[in-house]
Amino acid sequence: MLKIENLHARVEGKDILKGLTLTVNAGEVHAIMGPNGAGKSTLGNVLSGRDGYEVTEGSVTFNGVDLLALEPEARAAAGVFLAFQYPVEIPGVNNTYFLRAALNAQRKQRGERELDSMQFLKLVREKLKIMQISDELLHRAVNEGFSGGEKKRNEIFQMAVLEPKLAILDETDSGLDIDALKQVAQGVNALRSAERGFLVITHYQRLLDYIEPDFVHVLADGRIVESGDKTLALKLEEQGYAWVTDKDPVLHGASA
Amino acid sequence: MSEPQRTPFVDSQLEAAAQARLPGSSIGWLQAARRENLDAFAASGLPDTRMEAWKYTALRALGQRHFASGDEQAASRAVDASAFALPGIDGPALVFVNGVFRADLSRIDALPAGLDLQPLSQALQGDAEPLRFALSRHYREGGDVFARLNAALAGDGVVLRVAAGAKIAQPVHLLFIGAPGEVDLAWHVRHVIELGEDAELSLIEHHASSGDQQHLGTQVADIVLRKGARLRQVTLQDAATGSTLVRHDSVQLDAQAQASLYVLELGGALVRHDLHANLAGDRSRLETRGVFVLGGRQHVDTQMAIRHQALNTSSESVWRGVADQRSRGVFRGAIVVAEGADGSDASLSSKNLLLSGQAEIDTKPELEIYADEVKASHGATVGQLDERSLFYLRSRGIPLAEARSMLTAAFCRAVFEPLPEEGLREHLYHQLMAHLPSA
Amino acid sequence: MTPVTAPDDMNTTMTTETTDRSDLSATTLRDNAEVAAALGRRYEAGFVTDIETDYLPAGLSEDIVRQLSALKKEPEWMTEWRLKAYRHWLTMPTPDWAKLKLAPIDYQSISYYAAPKSGPKSLDEVDPKLLETYDKLGVPLHERAKLAGVAVDAVFDSVSVGTTFRKELAEAGVIFCSMSEAIREHPELVQKYLGSVVPTGDNFFAALNSAVFSDGSFVFVPKGVRCPMELSTYFRINAINTGQFERTLIVCEDDAYVSYLEGCTAPMRDENQLHAAVVELVALERAQIKYSTVQNWYPGDENGVGGIYNFVTKRGDCRGNDSKISWTQVETGSAITWKYPSCVLRGDRSVGEFYSVALTHHRQQADTGTKMIHIGKGTKSKIVSKGISAGRSNNSYRGLVKVEKGAEGARNYTQCDSLLIGKKCGAHTFPYMEVKNPTAIVEHEATTSKISDDQLFYCRSRGIGEEDAVSMIVDGFCKQVFRELPMEFAVEAKKLLEVSLEGAVG
Repeated sequence: MLKIENLHARVEGKDILKGLTLTVNAGEVHAIMGPNGAGKSTLGNVLSGRDGYEVTEGSVTFNGVDLLALEPEARAAAGVFLAFQYPVEIPGVNNTYFLRAALNAQRKQRGERELDSMQFLKLVREKLKIMQISDELLHRAVNEGFSGGEKKRNEIFQMAVLEPKLAILDETDSGLDIDALKQVAQGVNALRSAERGFLVITHYQRLLDYIEPDFVHVLADGRIVESGDKTLALKLEEQGYAWVTDKDPVLHGASA
Repeated sequence: MSEPQRTPFVDSQLEAAAQARLPGSSIGWLQAARRENLDAFAASGLPDTRMEAWKYTALRALGQRHFASGDEQAASRAVDASAFALPGIDGPALVFVNGVFRADLSRIDALPAGLDLQPLSQALQGDAEPLRFALSRHYREGGDVFARLNAALAGDGVVLRVAAGAKIAQPVHLLFIGAPGEVDLAWHVRHVIELGEDAELSLIEHHASSGDQQHLGTQVADIVLRKGARLRQVTLQDAATGSTLVRHDSVQLDAQAQASLYVLELGGALVRHDLHANLAGDRSRLETRGVFVLGGRQHVDTQMAIRHQALNTSSESVWRGVADQRSRGVFRGAIVVAEGADGSDASLSSKNLLLSGQAEIDTKPELEIYADEVKASHGATVGQLDERSLFYLRSRGIPLAEARSMLTAAFCRAVFEPLPEEGLREHLYHQLMAHLPSA
Repeated sequence: MTPVTAPDDMNTTMTTETTDRSDLSATTLRDNAEVAAALGRRYEAGFVTDIETDYLPAGLSEDIVRQLSALKKEPEWMTEWRLKAYRHWLTMPTPDWAKLKLAPIDYQSISYYAAPKSGPKSLDEVDPKLLETYDKLGVPLHERAKLAGVAVDAVFDSVSVGTTFRKELAEAGVIFCSMSEAIREHPELVQKYLGSVVPTGDNFFAALNSAVFSDGSFVFVPKGVRCPMELSTYFRINAINTGQFERTLIVCEDDAYVSYLEGCTAPMRDENQLHAAVVELVALERAQIKYSTVQNWYPGDENGVGGIYNFVTKRGDCRGNDSKISWTQVETGSAITWKYPSCVLRGDRSVGEFYSVALTHHRQQADTGTKMIHIGKGTKSKIVSKGISAGRSNNSYRGLVKVEKGAEGARNYTQCDSLLIGKKCGAHTFPYMEVKNPTAIVEHEATTSKISDDQLFYCRSRGIGEEDAVSMIVDGFCKQVFRELPMEFAVEAKKLLEVSLEGAVG
């Protein structure tokens, strides 16, 4: 479904991704782990099309389509969803209104019929129940005055409503206490399906206790330097990132 | 000071004054005030941009224009006032066409108890003495040139009084319709509004147009709120795109009086609004909230001055501006805290979006503080939509153009959120959205 | 919708040179024969001795301008330049005073050229109050006499210090001399840059200054040179009696850097009522100029009698790409201050900064601020203004941020805070924002407050006296600006505020 090949990207003239290759198939959950500054968040931002991230080499295809050629909204319509590490507050834009506009814009771009407000409300109620989120959230402006946990849950709730094919969770666990983490993980797990792929970007293993990955990759200095199953995450937790980076001839040489 | 230039505009207005048959011409003090103001107008002519109050609004082009005075046909022009009905607003209404009162379009037959509402032309036929103080004002400030013209030539307007203690449930709708005529017209309306002690009123000032025209309208309003009175006023300015509209409002708040003033500026080619508020009584409170949304070659200039003159007064002002295409938005918001006005609490925010390389925003918040037990702050910004918010919306699938207008609308909407009349609020949103640049 | 955080990156690129020379006292150079010789040379070439007549009669005319130019042995082009300015001045109306109240100035009653008056013969003749203030400020002994206007011969030592610095500068290739000397010795540079930032007809006082300026400083830092010292150290000791119409020109060529401090933290004896200085700064490609002012002219007494009128035109031109001009001022003196140090941000990505503390007391009036004119792409400006009003004074910030059509991505952040001490003073803020480019972001924030009783009480309950508590709070209020000053002056500026605030409380 998602094919990243030899991806190089730079931010403000600095090379961050230096040849990243990764394939995510429908139904799979991939965890991307790595030390700070490895390029984890850059990957999420490049995939969702944020300005200021320049791809200098390589390709990304999504179900055969060149993802990098699409505008951010077209990527969303194609089924790519980024749960932000720091969701922005948008005062004055009501959460429900925002979500309905987003859903209908996506449906329109896909040539589907737009939902009227009754249909939309029904859908939202359903999802709220699954996500165990109170509908009070809906009446507020997008992320405005939300606690850290509420913002992250709101991201997952949006994901539930928009039903993407590929969900990228960018450090969704950062800033969450254990209860909030569990709630978010529960929400994500409820959305796992054979049709949907996940890319879970995280610094810590603890999120993966709750969202069990099929594959774990270690991202260091802009490339994937190690891949394995979920046991790799446990090993990282025990031995730290130095274990992987030391093993890598390029990185080891560079740091020596 | 050099001799003011005699422009076609000034000449046309002096000529109009010479021919005018104004109501109340038998009232000595009124005629004297009209004469004084006319002389002052003739002596000063139109201000130029060296005058601080007109720094960002050039009147050169206006000075070259000629306006006929008064619309002879105003009483008979076919105008569909129902086209300007506002949702949920079906109480008393006064309607003026090209500055002339139209009884046939108004609703003043069944006024609630405590509300006295009539056109100025009619009030001058009765006992004019209660109007004497307001109508004998002499506008001495150099920049008040249109107020002088208005004082000299206004023959109609609104006289509104709310008796002490009366709480008027239904909002009063004042509708000023510009109607196309054979020539460009100048019309002038003069309002005298007073809320007695503890009286309450909700007022809508509505400027609209029944077709394209390039008239000049001027309005001078004196609003007095006696002790404990409460006023909520919504101004919806949706004048014809070619028209010129100059409003000069003075609001006085006695002790514990409260006023909330909402302004939405949408129409007009050249629009000037002077708003002078005087917190004259202890614990009086003023709230002003306004938005301008401009496109084309519109020029809208708001000059607001709030004076805190008594103890423990407060004012809060929230203004937003959007300028697109070749438009220019000007805002001045001055807060003055007079000596001894301890306990004053004043804040002002002017935020603006500049959407085009041909548009311009000039904003000037001011603080002038002469007391020390004061909390005063202001902030102003000119900028664009936040890139992060735009990206967030797009990442959720909302196309760029739509994301822009969503954020622009949100930027403006916040101003009207506290407005309790829901139907009216939604109507303002609707009007606002319709004026926003679609892409 | 626009972010409201201050752009931190504006703050970082220019580091403050803190060459601490103040301890290099004159004693180390005493009895140096070279000093005596240098002193003689200096006055041959310098400010005073080449003048044949002591003064010109009061009044202003073309004739007076010619005579003045002749007295200063100026070349023909300079005389013509002055005359042009004078003719323009005649056509200009006196400025509209905005918030200032002052009696009309009779320009025909001023003498436009006078050799410095001889003043008291020794420190014993100086007003003891003034000496007391020097003591409080910790002014070094060898400078006190000079500041108090004691005849030059008596302050032998300090001159020698300055002369030594001058040699060091010459070795680095930096030209630093009086304007009179520059006109004679470096006419090509003066002709190229004088009036190129503040044209002769710019405003009423700039025109007057251009016609009759007496002297001032000239600084030229050539390509790639970092001026090896704070020019403050030199200036502080030497360039004091430059008269009421001072003219300063500072030029930094490509990649050059200079930090210049004007004025003095101690109150200066001054006979002149009207001061109308002009300062021009030119920064070429990647050049940086840091200009700091501490102004403490005589403010008049508590009843508003006497005091200096300080009407200054200061403007910097960021002519080159990536150049930077930074103004820092601490204004506590003068009866009336009217000045707006400005930056014309012409070069792409050029940066302008303005940091100001203005304190007024008694009946002082200050109307000060800045103008930031964004012309180049990616230009940035930052304004931090702190006004403190006490007594019956009035203190206004007046500023303009203008973004021209072509200034893509321009960015401004302005912060203006006012502090009121007492019930009879005024604090005012008049920012003008004119924006013509839709990619620009301009932000202004202002607050007005007083020192709260809670703050005072808290300090006092911890044993701090009321005046000290006020000083402490005021110092905290000004921190953002003080940290922009060269180190040794930051300390003195703080003391200066304490002295100026004496008697403001209670």
